[in-house]
Amino acid sequence: MATTVVTSAGIASEAPRSDFGRILAQRERRFAAALLAPAFLALLATTTFPLLFLVYTSAFRMDLAMPFTNGFVGFENYQVLLSDERFWTSLLVSLVYTGSTVALQVIIGLALALLVIDMKRGQGWFRVIAILPVVLSPAVVGMIWRTFMLAPEFGIVDFLAINAGLGSKNWLGDPTLAMVSVIAIHTWQWTPFAFMVLLASLASLPEDIYEAARLDRASAWQRFRRITLPLLRPAIVMVVIMRTMVALTAFAAIFTVTAGGPGTATEILNLYAYRKSFTELSIGYGAALAVALLIVTIIISGILFALRRAK
Amino acid sequence: MSGQGQVSFRNIVKMHGEFAALKGVNFEIKPGEFFALLGPSGSGKSTTLRILAGLDAPTAGRVLIDDKDVTSTDARDRDIAMVFQSYALYPHMTVAENIAFPLEMARLPKAEIASAVHEAARKVKIDHLLDRKPGQLSGGQQQRCALARAIVRKARLFLLDEPLSNLDAKLRLETRAELKKLQRSLGVTAVYVTHDQEEAMTLADRMAVFMSGEIQQIGTPAEVFARPNSIDIAGFIGNPPMNLVPARYVDGDVIIAGHRLKTTTTTAGERDVVVGFRPGALRMTEGGLGARVDLIEDLGDTAVLDLDCAGIMIRMRVSDGNIPGEGETISITTRPQDIHLFDPTTRMRL
Repeated sequence: MATTVVTSAGIASEAPRSDFGRILAQRERRFAAALLAPAFLALLATTTFPLLFLVYTSAFRMDLAMPFTNGFVGFENYQVLLSDERFWTSLLVSLVYTGSTVALQVIIGLALALLVIDMKRGQGWFRVIAILPVVLSPAVVGMIWRTFMLAPEFGIVDFLAINAGLGSKNWLGDPTLAMVSVIAIHTWQWTPFAFMVLLASLASLPEDIYEAARLDRASAWQRFRRITLPLLRPAIVMVVIMRTMVALTAFAAIFTVTAGGPGTATEILNLYAYRKSFTELSIGYGAALAVALLIVTIIISGILFALRRAK
Repeated sequence: MSGQGQVSFRNIVKMHGEFAALKGVNFEIKPGEFFALLGPSGSGKSTTLRILAGLDAPTAGRVLIDDKDVTSTDARDRDIAMVFQSYALYPHMTVAENIAFPLEMARLPKAEIASAVHEAARKVKIDHLLDRKPGQLSGGQQQRCALARAIVRKARLFLLDEPLSNLDAKLRLETRAELKKLQRSLGVTAVYVTHDQEEAMTLADRMAVFMSGEIQQIGTPAEVFARPNSIDIAGFIGNPPMNLVPARYVDGDVIIAGHRLKTTTTTAGERDVVVGFRPGALRMTEGGLGARVDLIEDLGDTAVLDLDCAGIMIRMRVSDGNIPGEGETISITTRPQDIHLFDPTTRMRL
């Protein structure tokens, strides 16, 4: 090592500058690689390897209940999956769940942001309170809703429903109500995220173009439609992309509230894969389901990113 | 044009908490007039414009446009177009969409909008940029786009809030001349806010000079230049501004540093005054007021001399080639009619 240093210093005094620069750049690269290596290896070990292993597993029949049938089956799991009605149902549930909660998050988040941006006082407090659901663990959120909010007779929501004359409902026992409930729970927890992003985006819009629009005789609705909405578009698309990816892979809250039930009413694809793998112990088929979810997620995010670039 | 564009401000007061931004402002603008609101920063001229536009409400007083009280009318119902200092272009719309926006809001037919947009863009010479977004335009082009958006709808009042302040010096001079021509050709009433007295002097038919929330003088630029109402206006108008020197008035003469100068102003008895004379009104002469040349600022065709006259600082503009050297002592005087007298306590003209 010492020799190299001496030689390179010797060359530097005579050789053209570019040589010296190249050596420096090389050293820089080596140093950068050394700094990067631990994180890169950790990432490989915790994400890339499991992912590849998942794809590998999906090509096997691996049934812990019937180990004597285990073996390589190629694409058989995927063939079964395509004709599996429960797979298609859970995919539909996933899409409905994701579509409704993301739409609600954006609409409610935007409405709240528009409301709060005009608040002269208490904006700071509102932000602090609004952010609370986001910092809770989804499992905790699920527990709170299942017991404190939705429990028949004692839950706050049911109490309100009774007092509003709607009567006590079986919020988590009725298939439709259960779906509405899990969508509401996810929306409740993640709307603050959309709210915060859109509020920050709104705050960065210049005041004077609104004054110009007023003088140009635009009504409040026209100002929103023609100015606010187009200018917020990048932020809205970003929120939609981020929330869609999270909603597609949601698990903990639904698992603690309904565990996919009643029946398969709230069984999103993620939960189906989990149930297949760890309840029915059919690991190979579960892996194929998980890969299917991965593909769906990639396709949807690809479409969203294409939309983002479109204009 | 939907109206005449006559404006009347009656005792307008604007309070920001305890602070009075406007302390009772009164003025009238005639139809078709180019009216400038001139004053230093924080003097209330922009506040006045915003109240006229309907963007801010006055604390007290009434605003009349074409003899109709519009004090509580919303900005969108006043039929006023405005060019903002920042231009306030809609960043997500093209130049054409920006110009078309006020017409779309007025629900004009599409074909009519297209021709009006082209016409307005042609008037300000940006008809080749209609497909660009504001972010792709230079400062001068953005300014023209803002102008086009303001003239396209033929509003009865045309407000301009320091529209030239973000342009470089050369472009500012060019645009200034074009603005005047544009206003004349449209025949629209224009209200122009500026802190640059040169802009106000060159553009305005009449101007109101603001000082700390009050109008101190209204008149044509020539009137305000020739007979400033107060010490503050005298010290604000003109480049360099008027020399203001404490002196003693005795029987039609003023005594500055022991030297007597004749005036045409007569006032009772003997008293302290503030004497004002423009730098350009001073002449070099034999037997005048003695002064040492401290500094010469050569502007090419003219030079401004900083003179030390027994401890009093006086500025003089010299336009002939006869410029003394720094450190030389010269003797200066001025004509009696060029001497302005002000009361040192009330600060008003005598």
